Amino acid sequence: MPNQSIITFKDVVKEYDDQPILNHVDFEIEKGKFYTLLGPSGCGKTTILRLIAGFTDATSGEIYLDGKKVNDIPANKRKVNTVFQDYALFPHMNVFDNVAFGLSIKKMAQQKIVEKVKEVLKMVQLSGYENREISEMSGGQRQRVAIARALANEPEVLLLDEPLSALDLKLRTEMQYELRALQRRLGITFIFVTHDQEEALAMSDEIFVINKGHIVQSGTPVDIYDEPINRFVADFIGESNIVKGNMMDDYRVKFVGKEFECVDAGMRENEAVEIVLRPEDLEITAVEKGKLKVKVDTQLFRGVHYEIVCSDTDQNEWVIHSTKKAKIGAEVGLYFNPEDIHVMRFNETEEEFDARLEAYEEE
Amino acid sequence: MKKTGLKWSNLYLILVFAILYIPIFYLIYYSFNEGGTMNSFTGFTWDHYKEVFSDTRLLVIVLDTLLVALLSSLIATFIGTMGALGIYYTKKRPMRNALLSVNNVLMVSPDVIIGASFLVFFTFLGIGLGFGSVLMSHVAFSIPIVVLMVLPKLKEMNDSMISAAHDLGANNWQVLSRVILPTILPGILAGYFMAFTYSLDDFAVTFFVTGNGFSTLSVEIYSRARQGVSLSINALSALMFVFALTLVIGYYFIMQHNINKKKKQRKLAEIEAVKMR
Ligand SMILES: Nc1ncnc2c1ncn2[C@@H]1O[C@H](COP(=O)(O)OP(=O)(O)OP(=O)(O)O)[C@@H](O)[C@H]1O
Ligand SMILES: [Mg+2]
Repeated sequence: MPNQSIITFKDVVKEYDDQPILNHVDFEIEKGKFYTLLGPSGCGKTTILRLIAGFTDATSGEIYLDGKKVNDIPANKRKVNTVFQDYALFPHMNVFDNVAFGLSIKKMAQQKIVEKVKEVLKMVQLSGYENREISEMSGGQRQRVAIARALANEPEVLLLDEPLSALDLKLRTEMQYELRALQRRLGITFIFVTHDQEEALAMSDEIFVINKGHIVQSGTPVDIYDEPINRFVADFIGESNIVKGNMMDDYRVKFVGKEFECVDAGMRENEAVEIVLRPEDLEITAVEKGKLKVKVDTQLFRGVHYEIVCSDTDQNEWVIHSTKKAKIGAEVGLYFNPEDIHVMRFNETEEEFDARLEAYEEE
Repeated sequence: MKKTGLKWSNLYLILVFAILYIPIFYLIYYSFNEGGTMNSFTGFTWDHYKEVFSDTRLLVIVLDTLLVALLSSLIATFIGTMGALGIYYTKKRPMRNALLSVNNVLMVSPDVIIGASFLVFFTFLGIGLGFGSVLMSHVAFSIPIVVLMVLPKLKEMNDSMISAAHDLGANNWQVLSRVILPTILPGILAGYFMAFTYSLDDFAVTFFVTGNGFSTLSVEIYSRARQGVSLSINALSALMFVFALTLVIGYYFIMQHNINKKKKQRKLAEIEAVKMR
């Protein structure tokens, strides 16, 4: 099946006042999956959603929904619904009328509307709230009304623009589970926007990391976490220790003055690279057993683990996550496995990165 | 300390309201005076009220005044609301500011000038002075009022709400009728009532553009007052005052009723929801 994708962007450019906001964005979105657009504030996440929903036109490029070009189709004719960043509920209507809005526009029979509203309100656990005014609902409840309102239309794609950002941590985690479960149950495509990397890792089938109007990397949460393509992604997704190094040969890398075995290959000899080591992959051992020798500078208790900051003789900083306490001022060794070392080339595009990975994995 | 402060503020309020209302009550008081003047109260009588109700010319004028006020404010509300929407959706900022300024200039220019210019305008076009000319001029000076009342409501409106309505399948007309208009309805109603009262008590503009055989209350009272005020004018004023008071009280009770009804409905629904569990 070549045409599995439900949304396709082909070389889409969006400019506001001659300022490019999206630069040649290409992607495909498959049916029934949970996608996350992840990136810092102002990188163009909302703009991508607005283009899919049809609230704004692309400056150039093509957008396909279900294989049909939709550049000239208005928002009200697209089978896509949105949960807005600020919910955008209608304050002059109660919960029932809000949820029923799309259905009554479609001129559905009143009896059917009542049934459908009941059904979706049950889905978001708001049964019995039909006659409440919006002003009498809490933030979390409003958000669920917004989701119910979008779901009532049975969209093929649901766009969610940072819907959880206004909630407290507990409710937020709860809603993450609920949303994910809902998506699995309904089997529709979710495109979820967030700038919270933990949220993205926890919920998605696929993550698009966006920076300055570019999709920097896309892939499953595990792929992106374990094999970030460049410094931006490595830094944005989780904490990492990044140091400069040189690729000596395939599977041999040199950094902080020592050579190590690693699992990356396919680069030029002696090429300058950057090395990522995740804090949780570093283990504190005795100096003679460690691959690196460092001194413990500070230590913070983070609940699940201690965040220990060390430095080596070259003044590189090493952050370590450990369940065991360290002694400040002590000289310790750091141990890590060859597969914990992730090598990143400078200015490598996603295609080049994927091609290289494939090439040396086949060997 | 606190108590005396409260008392002073109460006293101040009473004083303000007294200054506002004493002239009206003074007028009403003398509408029951047997003697023909407002110098001394000689005895109680309904005579002046009877006079008002037997004066068919006056009654026709009252009805005409109400008709002009109702019609002109209705038309002005319609046009003004559309105008406010137009200004709000004008994308270019300089253009929008220009439109708004033109609107505000009309607001602040003296009635006498507006009236005079209408007179010139109507005679130039050869339009006969009377009901039509009065209605048109009232519509014209009411539009800016409506625009000014509606525009802030539009600005308060959340724009993503409109995107949401489109998103849920509404076309432009449905977005306007189901989302925008209900949201700005308080502004529209306020504009309508403002326009209505402006039209009711307008003297200057009407004085210029009214012709033979057509008059409004303010113009009529003015011309009668020039011949010496008869107490039937007092009676008429008293009636108008009572009329306005009933409107306000009626409005208050309707609002109260609606709020109560909503509360009751919700209670019932919540009881039902609890039962269902
Ligand atoms: N209507 C507009 N006119 C001009 N510039 C705009 C408009 N809408 C967005 N922009 C610009 O486009 C850029 C991307 O905006 P966008 O709303 O897509 O960011 P975002 O990734 O959703 O950010 P956030 O996480 O803060 O919501 C921003 O720099 C913003 O200033
Ligand atoms: Mg946004």
